Amino acid sequence: MEYFSPDKLEEAYALLAKYGDDAIPIAGSTFFMSHREDLFDEVRAVINIKRLGLGYIEHADTGLRIGATTTLNEIFSAAVCRSGPFRVFSETVDELKINEVRNAATIGGEVCIAGEVDMPTTLLAFDANIVIGGAQGTRTASMADFHLGYLNNALKPGEMVIEVQVPQPRAVASAGFAKFERTAADLPIVNVTTRVALDADGTCSEARVAVGAATAAGIPKRSAQAEAALIGRVLDEQAIAAAAAASSDVECIDDFRASAELRSLWVKCGVEDALRRAAGQARAGE
Amino acid sequence: MTVHTVQLRINGEVTTVDVKAHWSLAYVIREKVGLTGTKTGCEMGTCGSCTVLLDEKPIFSCLRMAVDAEGHEIQTIEGVEVENGGELHPLQKSFIELHGMQCGFCTPGMILAAKALLENNPDPSEQEVREAIGGHLCRCGTYVRIVRSILDAAQAVRAS
Repeated sequence: MEYFSPDKLEEAYALLAKYGDDAIPIAGSTFFMSHREDLFDEVRAVINIKRLGLGYIEHADTGLRIGATTTLNEIFSAAVCRSGPFRVFSETVDELKINEVRNAATIGGEVCIAGEVDMPTTLLAFDANIVIGGAQGTRTASMADFHLGYLNNALKPGEMVIEVQVPQPRAVASAGFAKFERTAADLPIVNVTTRVALDADGTCSEARVAVGAATAAGIPKRSAQAEAALIGRVLDEQAIAAAAAASSDVECIDDFRASAELRSLWVKCGVEDALRRAAGQARAGE
Repeated sequence: MTVHTVQLRINGEVTTVDVKAHWSLAYVIREKVGLTGTKTGCEMGTCGSCTVLLDEKPIFSCLRMAVDAEGHEIQTIEGVEVENGGELHPLQKSFIELHGMQCGFCTPGMILAAKALLENNPDPSEQEVREAIGGHLCRCGTYVRIVRSILDAAQAVRAS
């Protein structure tokens, strides 16, 4: 296994092109090192991408741009994620009570894993786009299209994630995150992010209900039924209950962490919980 | 497998070590540098016993490649007393006085995580202390006394 730490994007792309499928870009290395027994034999080149200047959070009228090597704790403490429409990004990080992992793990890694992590669920609820770079140029994939299945993403050999873009939500928007896990330091069994846009009269004109870690597909999915149940309604307890009941269209996985039956129940509870938080944020006028 | 020569700055001292790319920082600190205060328990980021401070932030040294630790300030439990002018840090004192341990295996990681907390937040609530050690397991189950030790040390740090 060779190790490289390039300081120019072009060098990183050239290495990725040279080693193809046998190369792995790493930054926080939390996933790679915790799966080293499986991965060391498969990987011929480890490419450290932390010196490429991809650690940044930039906010403009169009939305957020988060560099791939930005750590979870950098997102947690960024002013733009502490209040306002992106507050749920900070809240999503805060539900993982392992400071040591938050200091190392990056948004690019969370996006690429396509497994039991939290941030992609929030990114799906925010219609985020993943910017993919390679020697052939850059391309963009939506969060929904980027995940192909459990531990499977849309990167082709020679490509890597360089940025995550989150469009600015409409003026009056609020969001909530909810999570169930065995302990606050364990992998999620269910996570839910909801985002709503409210009209001047308080009715919901846009809704996203994203469910992660629990789905049969192994990747975050939106509940079309729960979203439909919210449109045109005021975000009160009845609407929240209706949306939670409608989230049964999310097909849950049955595995050693939890049964599908329990997960389906927790998805409902999570939708309820996350929507209440969104409603609370809307009431607070943030 | 290529060998990389790296200069690691640990507890203020620079050590030159030849490392293989897959060696973890925890392995190198213990087996090549000889600082065995850093413990390795699970070696997969679950137990917290390998925690060190990298540029004053706690990280799991089992999940960090040693080759990727060059150019950073690393502090292990051995460096805490040195940094404190040769005296035990208030956290170390309170862990001893209030017996915030049974077997002691998790203690270096607990103390370093708590030290990072107190540097950013000298007056933490009990909840904040619990969250700061959220990634640390104590298999003896002395959490109550660990939390008490950290709160006690916070008071001592504020008073000093």
